[in-house]
Amino acid sequence: MKKEKGIFIIFIVLCSVVSIGNPNFLSAANLQNTTRLIGIFGIFSIGSGIVIITRGIDLSVGSIFALEGVLLSMLLVSQKIAWPIAVMTVLLLTLAIGWCHGIMISKLKIQPFIITLCGLLVYRGLARFFSNDITMGFGYGEGFTALQRLATGNLFGVPSPFILLLVVGAAAWVFLHRSVYGRYLFAVGQNEEAAFFSGINVKRMLLAAYIISALLAGIAGILLAFYTNAIAPSSHGNFYELYGIAAAVLGGCSLRGGEGSIIGIVLGAAMLQVIQNLVNLLGIPSSLNFAVMGVVILTGVLADKFIRRNKY
Amino acid sequence: MKRLPFVIALLSLVSCNRSHRPTIAFVAGAATDFWTFAEAGCKKARAEIKEYDVVFRYTTDGATEEQKRIVDDLLANGLNGVIVAPLDPVNQGPFIDATSEKIPVMVTDSDIPNSKRLCYVGTSNVEAGHYAGKLIKEALPAGGKILLFVGKADAQNAKERIAGIEEELKGSGITIAGIRTDNIDRVRAKANVSDALVSHPDVNCFVGLWSYNGPAILNAVKESGKSGKVKIVCFDEEEETLRGVQNGEILGTVVQQPFEFGYQSTRLMAQYLSGDKKGLPANGQVIIPAQVIRKDMAADYLSKMAALRRK
Repeated sequence: MKKEKGIFIIFIVLCSVVSIGNPNFLSAANLQNTTRLIGIFGIFSIGSGIVIITRGIDLSVGSIFALEGVLLSMLLVSQKIAWPIAVMTVLLLTLAIGWCHGIMISKLKIQPFIITLCGLLVYRGLARFFSNDITMGFGYGEGFTALQRLATGNLFGVPSPFILLLVVGAAAWVFLHRSVYGRYLFAVGQNEEAAFFSGINVKRMLLAAYIISALLAGIAGILLAFYTNAIAPSSHGNFYELYGIAAAVLGGCSLRGGEGSIIGIVLGAAMLQVIQNLVNLLGIPSSLNFAVMGVVILTGVLADKFIRRNKY
Repeated sequence: MKRLPFVIALLSLVSCNRSHRPTIAFVAGAATDFWTFAEAGCKKARAEIKEYDVVFRYTTDGATEEQKRIVDDLLANGLNGVIVAPLDPVNQGPFIDATSEKIPVMVTDSDIPNSKRLCYVGTSNVEAGHYAGKLIKEALPAGGKILLFVGKADAQNAKERIAGIEEELKGSGITIAGIRTDNIDRVRAKANVSDALVSHPDVNCFVGLWSYNGPAILNAVKESGKSGKVKIVCFDEEEETLRGVQNGEILGTVVQQPFEFGYQSTRLMAQYLSGDKKGLPANGQVIIPAQVIRKDMAADYLSKMAALRRK
């Protein structure tokens, strides 16, 4: 819990400031809106974080959203395929994408930055090609209203993406912090060579990390597609990989690998959404949105630095 | 030397692509439905004018340097006339002038009146803003507050639409409570609306200035359960917007006719290049009127759009 202390304190301070500035922050409607987005962004941020822990990076997330959204719309709307099959198909596709990234990074030893950057370009291009650059939508969900309701609805007043984040987060927490594979992942990130010589199957761990990242991007991508209910192939999810990376770094992951925690990543993702919510609720001009985000991330990282330095 | 066959293959691929007919290029904005419809218009024009080849190019949003590069590349390949949709009309004047010295240039979508362009083909966004203003007055007969949603408030067409709305609302007792921007991100666009429903409960009319703002407003308002209480006025012709109009959830949407942008500008350019200069308007502007789509017209318009998309 030590690592997340800094970000946790800032998160609480931020939330208090916003709720004092505009009590509507704590209204049910606003909490629902914000936690819905936290759910979607949190899920893929966990994937980005796990990759960062292995000292890698995944830049393809935003383009995966576009490609997946376009295909999902084609399967459901134009091909009228039953939604469970359509969902399984796109998830298998993201799994395959992650496997390709992982194989090239672990077996062929090509730098993750390059592989996933190529992914970013290729999937975006494919999404635009398949859709003919036409915005793909889900309309009123004829034939798959159940899926639409599942992705955008609430369970006991809690948005389903947020519930899914709790489930995914718990599973990832057990995997990363309570299983031997988690220890392996950290070891690979700390020092790949040392991990290899202590008998860890480094290649398999790297492969696993990229598969997890792509699969979580796939799950978040379905939620995101139904959140907007339409996918503009040239702009859907543009730069969203950076939200994942920012959430991970804000949550205590080091880009040098071997450090980080699930709770930190989720808090980081939550904070990024609260910041954008704050801009709207406190009446800050939306043009300042990115500037505010940058300042808060910087403050978070600096505070983390000082809190941790005091220990030594 | 091992690479020689590849180089030769690459060169032959490039040289194959050259067209031998005189070429007209249409350099559009980002790949959205709007420009897809313009492309359909260009294709229709190409089918009618056999003696010219027509190429259509999309660009990335805000990337004016990309438009310049595309035009330069096409020029190197032998281009006879170009129609540009300037992404930044305020600062792209010199680029239009420099190109005009080599080949005839028309601009579409946003005008650059002081440049050396042949003419402008497009809608008056100020006029479109006036139409939206009339819809807003209809939505709030007793006055009230409205919020505007747009991708970038500093884009020329956004500024003109806002100016048109402001002029129309003068003295009507309706005030603009704010403008929310989303940087062309649909997720942010919808979140902005959800946030506004919480932070501005007194606002009872939302206006979406760009195409995707319509569906974003519609979905967020529906999810909050405030359908009917918050009136919605939109621009452009996204399918969900039109469906919303059809269902009475959106009061109306102001559409331009991008198909006509593509069709008329290409025809006009072909005419001009063939030596017929009578088609050019004296004031340098071919205005394609905006339309207001209401509930009774939505079904017709939807099927028209569906037919265009299939092409």
